[in-house]
Amino acid sequence: MAYSDKVIDHYNNPRNVGSFDKSDADVGTGIVGAPECGDVMKLQLRINPESRMIEDARFKTFGCGSAIASSSYVTELVKGKHIDEAMTIRNTVIVKELNLPPVKIHCSVLAEDAIKAAIGDWKKHHEDGAPAAAEPRKAQEG
Amino acid sequence: MITCPSCTRAQAPALACAGCGAPLGANLDLFAALNLPRRLAIDAAAMERAYHDLSRRIHPDRFAAAPAAARDASMRATALLTRAYRTLRDPISRGRYWLELHGRKLGENNQRVPAELAAMVFETQEQLEELRESRTPENLAAARARRGEVAGALEAAAVALARNFAAWDADGEEADERRREALFTELKATLSKIAYLTTLARDIGRELETARAA
Repeated sequence: MAYSDKVIDHYNNPRNVGSFDKSDADVGTGIVGAPECGDVMKLQLRINPESRMIEDARFKTFGCGSAIASSSYVTELVKGKHIDEAMTIRNTVIVKELNLPPVKIHCSVLAEDAIKAAIGDWKKHHEDGAPAAAEPRKAQEG
Repeated sequence: MITCPSCTRAQAPALACAGCGAPLGANLDLFAALNLPRRLAIDAAAMERAYHDLSRRIHPDRFAAAPAAARDASMRATALLTRAYRTLRDPISRGRYWLELHGRKLGENNQRVPAELAAMVFETQEQLEELRESRTPENLAAARARRGEVAGALEAAAVALARNFAAWDADGEEADERRREALFTELKATLSKIAYLTTLARDIGRELETARAA
């Protein structure tokens, strides 16, 4: 299948690859997966606790070009946004920007889920009062 | 009721005619095609017997000289029989077919993978990446340990699948809406977990194979 130019650009030149320290209280980590294709995506957001703005983002994705491009694009998209606004980002924005074909729409859904998971993780430290003990398994930092 | 294209006998839909044994070309669900009750626990020996017996009776070779309608019915019935056998023989494809039979699909409603499973898959992929970068004994040992862990998780998922099947067979079909939905949700979650772990096991196997060959 032919990838769009934008997918190829993000694939060859991914933005914001890497990771933040998971244990940093300002960092929200979302790991989401797509069982149908075996893809897995980690998105980390650095969120200012006062302004609740997303100051920075990192991702690492194991998967196809569309999954990598979707997560790469999302890191650019969320930076500078308030978390409430970021929560409203729909996968259709990603589909449109990257010109994803129907068989790759699930990649954009995964990226949307990753934003929600990362913000949800951050909120766990900041709203529920209890520190994040709910994350059952912590990946060791490489 | 359908009519046998060979002997014109009217009868309930079946793979082969109750009168002359000719294939009927009926549109059956896969359980009915194999003469099996619509249950998820399958008697493997009965399925093998039904498959071989029916294959012989409806085989296209036997209808090579028959009228076009009978030849066509034989072809369609054989295709259906083969699909039924291949689908129902394997518990995973049987479970997927159960969803299809009830108008459900795996992956609909964007069902999320549990966070713990996604994290495990991510960690494993990172380990495999490290192994690709440097084939140290430690990285190899870690990948092998992971292979064992994933195999164990797959076995546990197979047990969970069998439990879900047993619940359907016990009273699932007659149960109220809420119970049925819970069983469907559990079935979907188990099948997607198995799919995810199977891909992961394949990736680990490939990586270890590459490392061994190097």
